[in-house]
Amino acid sequence: MNAAPLAQPVVKLREDLGVLERAYSLGHHGPWAANRRAEMVDAAIGQLFDDAGAPSSIGLAAIGGYGRGHQLPRSDVDLLIVHDGTHGDEVAAVAERVLYPLWDGGFEVGQAVRTPHECELIAAERLDALTSMLDIRPVAGDRELVEAAASRVRAVAAAHPVGFARSLREDADARAERFGVTAYLLEPDLKQGAGGLRDLQAVRWVAAVVGAALVRTAEREALEAAEEFLTRVRSALQFETDKRADRLPLELQPPIARAMGFADEPGLLAEDALMRRVFEHARAVRWIAGNVLARAEAGSAMPTEPPMPFGDLDRALEAVADAAEAGAPLDARMLDSIEATTVPESPLWSEGTRRSFLRILRAGDAGVRALDALDQLGMLAVLVPAWSPVRCRPQRDPYHRFTVDTHLTTTLAEMGRLLDGADDEPLTMGALAQSPDRDALLLGALLHDIGKIGEGSHVSAGARIAAATLDRIGVRGGVRDLVMFMVEQHLLLPDTATRRDLTDENLIIDVAARIGSPERLAALTLLASADSNATGPAAWTPWRRTLLRELVVRVQRTFDRGDMGAELAHRLTSRLEEVRARLEGEPDDVVERFVLRMPRAYFLAVEPERVAAHHPTIAPDVGSTEVRSVAHPASREGAYELLVVAGDRPGLLSWIAGAVALAGLSILSAQVFTTDDGVAVDLFEVEGAFETEIGEPRWREFRGVLRKAIEGRVSLAHRVADKQARYPTPAMRTSVTVAVDNEASDYSTVIEVGAPDRIGLLYDITSALAELTLDVHLAKVATYTDRVIDAFYVRDAVGGKVTDPAQVAEIEAAIRERLEAHADRS
Amino acid sequence: MKLVTAIVKPHRVDEVKEALRDLGVNGLTTTDVEGFGRQRGHTEVYRGAEYQVDFVPKVKLEVLVPDGDAQGVVDAIVKAARTGKIGDGKLWVTEAEQVLRIRTGEMGPDAV
Repeated sequence: MNAAPLAQPVVKLREDLGVLERAYSLGHHGPWAANRRAEMVDAAIGQLFDDAGAPSSIGLAAIGGYGRGHQLPRSDVDLLIVHDGTHGDEVAAVAERVLYPLWDGGFEVGQAVRTPHECELIAAERLDALTSMLDIRPVAGDRELVEAAASRVRAVAAAHPVGFARSLREDADARAERFGVTAYLLEPDLKQGAGGLRDLQAVRWVAAVVGAALVRTAEREALEAAEEFLTRVRSALQFETDKRADRLPLELQPPIARAMGFADEPGLLAEDALMRRVFEHARAVRWIAGNVLARAEAGSAMPTEPPMPFGDLDRALEAVADAAEAGAPLDARMLDSIEATTVPESPLWSEGTRRSFLRILRAGDAGVRALDALDQLGMLAVLVPAWSPVRCRPQRDPYHRFTVDTHLTTTLAEMGRLLDGADDEPLTMGALAQSPDRDALLLGALLHDIGKIGEGSHVSAGARIAAATLDRIGVRGGVRDLVMFMVEQHLLLPDTATRRDLTDENLIIDVAARIGSPERLAALTLLASADSNATGPAAWTPWRRTLLRELVVRVQRTFDRGDMGAELAHRLTSRLEEVRARLEGEPDDVVERFVLRMPRAYFLAVEPERVAAHHPTIAPDVGSTEVRSVAHPASREGAYELLVVAGDRPGLLSWIAGAVALAGLSILSAQVFTTDDGVAVDLFEVEGAFETEIGEPRWREFRGVLRKAIEGRVSLAHRVADKQARYPTPAMRTSVTVAVDNEASDYSTVIEVGAPDRIGLLYDITSALAELTLDVHLAKVATYTDRVIDAFYVRDAVGGKVTDPAQVAEIEAAIRERLEAHADRS
Repeated sequence: MKLVTAIVKPHRVDEVKEALRDLGVNGLTTTDVEGFGRQRGHTEVYRGAEYQVDFVPKVKLEVLVPDGDAQGVVDAIVKAARTGKIGDGKLWVTEAEQVLRIRTGEMGPDAV
């Protein structure tokens, strides 16, 4: 079946539209082209209407976007047929003869048939019908009938201007909820979102009903610029998709950016430059629509007096701070007055500027609105030049919802909320109890991502920019230090919590050392919370919160126990530096691996010079049955340092202790460490039990016994007992004490043993531990004349603490029995 | 077809991902999950406030593989996820009755 030929006016309309489409590149169809398009449609419809031989009592009107003369490439043609209610059949016939050819020509035509009275009724009932008919425009037929409908519709809105404004505001809120915010979403809805073209029209509608004076001159100009730009983007989008599309998807941003003439620049891709402009305009639209609708809703008359420029920047900023503290919006006259104030291009911050700025930061949500106003008025970029590069800059990652600057102000608002005690999470409350400086927290929140300017690492760029910004503002001393620390380390907690092994003690100590003090930990904790809250729901799940809490609790306990603090952190850092310096000849990766796997306690306990001496023994990989030992004269005369390195296993320490005893050596002190990858590094200070000089034969004997013990070729228990029987116990008898402590460490159970010194004592204790399959992870053994105080950090077979009370009791009993049995025997 | 599901410690995910990439596995789904097995939750005391951690954060990995590749994938995951400490997680393999690539309609091994 052949389709009927298209009506001539429709053929011409299609040709004309095609010519218009090709006349400009796809990115340059702005309001002018939309207007031209509407005129073409007008001409076609007028012709069709005339050809239809319509009666005089029918008027054809354009409504909606078409009514405004704003016809986008693929938008519907919204028609309203106005009649007087007397010619029902003829209306239907006209509708057929006008609409069918358009439909046949592939045009989407929305149509309604109403009398002026019906227009009034439906306008009173539905906001969308009311607003679309506010833009009514006669196209063909009875103009008077259309005018009658138009005035009735306008009367509906004008009867309740405040109610009309409220309805528009509620509609804007509902659209923002449903379509999101055009001003920062990565795939924004250009029409319906907050800051989209619909908001822009809402300003026009309310101004048409309430009065043009409702909109300030600067606002009107900004809206025109936004309409021009957003219309071009939306038209390009419709050309690209060949659909009536409003949402700008990621995959179309590059072609549309190119069509609109954007090109890649250093630090800013073409599509980011496009989105940045979209956001800038949408942000202005959103702000202006909010202000104008609020004014109309408040029924506030526009000021009749001219604006009163402030004497200088400081006065203007002070007024903004006053308003922010009072939680009051800036009224139209105030905005005009600020705009009229002379502001130097690069103003110096005075004491007054700083005071007002900090007052704004402290004012919570109202302060953030004030910053937004300062931003829209162009003052923020003047005061803080670093703001411009992050302004409206899109962030393309799965977590962030906001542009960089919106993320920063949202983080500031979240920080304010935390400081107001709005969060009862123990982590937040604990951090607040540390009372880090509030201004530092607010400045840190505002500046933490200031380095996201598309140049390499945002953290190092951020540190540089934040330093310059703080200098400019005039923030000094401890507050400045804390802000800088927050900017430089703001990723430390979240990255560590989600990517690293929190049961790794070295890691926790390193984090504690980098942080240095509970106050700084509190500041980072609060920033991590505020930052994550401001990022989006994906960044602050209970899953992430649990990990962060785990990390913070562990680091805090490191401070609480005194395992780390400013002084120790400093000592650790400087010692590691010295170790690296002493090992300069070694390959970097070998040295770094050594530093990474050795426990921090080792570096804190052992002088860098000795560490460097140990390095060749410890660094090479240790075979599963391999044992390395090196002896070296210690600083104290007659004493030797004995280093034993072997794959760790329960019992190892007891074998070494036994071999030491059997070789006729007496242990003065011992320090036992275990590396990250399960290698025992045991360091003893020994002296000869019978002679001051220890010769090679004794060392050989020690090594031989140890090897045999490990291979199970000698019974140490028997040999040591035998030896003990031959030597008397010291005359002075002190009691044996055993204490098991599960609070002292997060990772190990600490067993403290006090006992009179004698041959084989360490062997007795450690073999009792081995029998219970406890692994000695860290030990400190010290001899005070005739009494020995030992602390053993032990873990059970699966690497955990011993928490079962029955097992704790068993440990105490076993050690006591070992030591006291010996005492009885002697 | 088999569905290999593993619950692992969050900080081992990158290792597992790399191990699977080395095996030529090119599709993987991860989910942040919380739960408990033998490694129960625990009570934390922080600045006097005591709170119960009922569930431990873990990551769930899901990989669809042809039957013949399942054992290799299992071994690789276990090797990469093991720390030897409590809470290393769990892994199970289930039969996947039907696998289909939504875009193309390819089925079975073609779809993974």
